[in-house]
Amino acid sequence: MDNNFLVIENISKSFGDNKVLENINLNISKSEFFGLLGSSGSGKTTLLRILGGFEKPDSGRVILDGMDITNLEPFDRPLNYMFQSYALFPHLNVFNNLAFGIKENFTQKEIDINVRNFAELLSIEHLLNRRIKQLSGGEQQRVALGRCLIKKPKLLLLDEPLAALDKKLRSKTQLELTTLQKKLKITFVFVTHDQEEAMSLSDRMAIMKNGLILECSSPEEIYENPKSLYTANFIGIANIIEIYKKDENLYSDDLGINFKLNKELKNTKTNILLRPEKIKIQSINNLKTGSFNSFSGEILEKSYLGSFTRYEIKINDMIISVLDQNFNSNSNYNFPKGEKVICSWESESIKILED
Amino acid sequence: MKNKLFEKYFVFSPYFWLVLFFFIPLAIIFKISISVSEWGMPPYQDIFLFDNGFKINTTLENYVYIFSDYYYIGSFVNSLILAVISTFFCLLIGFPLAFYIATSNIRLRNILLVLVVIPFWSSFLLRVYAWKIILQNNGILNVILLNLGITSEPLQLLYNQYAVIMGIVYTYLPLMILPLYGYLNKFDLNLIEASKDLGLNRTKTFFKVILPLSVPGIVAGSLLVFIPVVGEFIIPEMLGGSDRLYYGKILWEEFFVNRNWPGASALAFSGIIILVLPIVIFQILYSRWSQKNEI
Repeated sequence: MDNNFLVIENISKSFGDNKVLENINLNISKSEFFGLLGSSGSGKTTLLRILGGFEKPDSGRVILDGMDITNLEPFDRPLNYMFQSYALFPHLNVFNNLAFGIKENFTQKEIDINVRNFAELLSIEHLLNRRIKQLSGGEQQRVALGRCLIKKPKLLLLDEPLAALDKKLRSKTQLELTTLQKKLKITFVFVTHDQEEAMSLSDRMAIMKNGLILECSSPEEIYENPKSLYTANFIGIANIIEIYKKDENLYSDDLGINFKLNKELKNTKTNILLRPEKIKIQSINNLKTGSFNSFSGEILEKSYLGSFTRYEIKINDMIISVLDQNFNSNSNYNFPKGEKVICSWESESIKILED
Repeated sequence: MKNKLFEKYFVFSPYFWLVLFFFIPLAIIFKISISVSEWGMPPYQDIFLFDNGFKINTTLENYVYIFSDYYYIGSFVNSLILAVISTFFCLLIGFPLAFYIATSNIRLRNILLVLVVIPFWSSFLLRVYAWKIILQNNGILNVILLNLGITSEPLQLLYNQYAVIMGIVYTYLPLMILPLYGYLNKFDLNLIEASKDLGLNRTKTFFKVILPLSVPGIVAGSLLVFIPVVGEFIIPEMLGGSDRLYYGKILWEEFFVNRNWPGASALAFSGIIILVLPIVIFQILYSRWSQKNEI
């Protein structure tokens, strides 16, 4: 795979004294679905707008398919941008919104054929004569998407593509978007603050914070092996435990127990990550507390989530989150509040956070 | 119940105002316009006579009189042309200004808006008079032109139709900028970016996106300038010359110099009808169009 389809090279951008992006470097492959994930103010939207040509970077280059597009105007770039607000033209109907970008260079017949094809692809062919205000949020999102795709861009940029949709529609659209992207093989780069959205859509994703890229990898890798404390906390639920070398063992003051790792520690003191679904929870009668990688605690809170039950378990001064899958439908399987339980995990499940 | 009654009166009070100060005077003007002239005070006969039984004493002669003399029609045409030209220039200058104000950051925007409104704080007459001083033969503009050697003798800048157009554009510009700003302020700037992203350059984006979406503001501003300019009296009187006669001035002369009240009333009434009817029709068509287009 061509790893240099979109190359973002040393991009920096400031607004006044405010440094929004600092030396951003990214390589994105052709036909990749790439996510930029960060909280507000992380600089992710500014980076996307620089790719779209709406902002000029203070330094650095953007190279798309071998062409330096850093100084090109938006209308000269072979890419399209889908706005969070969709930015559909209220004075035009759906047909003319879809045809807006191809009216210049196409004959009337070609326009008709293209609009109908893309309307069909997005299942909006019955809406072509509607006005924008008569559309639902989901329909507007499709028109906005169609208006970009009809131009057959090399790269599609999407700013919070699903943020304006309600929750149920969002998961449906997520699936459609990935199917569509795989079908058309267009490179997608999107921005989101929603980690679930980033995980389900992206082939690879970059975590941004304060104008920096903290990590860039596949969703699985970022979830299972985050490099930083920030990423571990940002993605999913995280139990972060501080441990240090005490005599021969690794010890946590908060939990008051010893840990066993299958890896050597670099520092004498470090944070470890233990994802809540990696913890096994058992009744105290079944097992004796081991000296390593297990602890006994009291169930403080419990929330039944259908496929899972989430427990907050208090041990010494710390509260640990545990997700327990509901294997059988017997309600007795769930542990009641206040019950003493034993939690345990595999050594491999513990991830060391380097910084 | 009491509240509802109050609400009703509150909502309808502008209409009472309109009836009292627009329709009743208009009816009086219409009455005078169909009266027979005579020497005396007032200079027209009553339309209802009761001397030898009841008799209606009306005439259309005043209308025939003004419509058969090109002096009157010509002045009205001159005023319409003046209004069209002035509205065009107000739009030409006002649109970019309003757009700039609407898209600038909030601090700059407030300063610019105040600058637009500041002229209203001084008297309208004084502002027009100031132009007289600037444009006169030994005025600032001529002094500058002479000193720069651009001309060897003072230019006649005052007392012609160009001075009138300039004065009107200057005076009415805020009335164009403010409604335009009101509409452009709500403009979603993403639409401009979206248009550029879809491959349209600045010029095309202006004509395909910005202009069509600004139509309501353009219509509001243009009407606000056009209608009063047609009847404008003071600016042509102070800055204009004898090269062109305008409707407002003719109307004034007919009333106060010729003391032909019925003729002047006929002129005034015709002017209102000629001006208002097309605008009412336009407004009806326009509101249908804009409803259809959801602007």
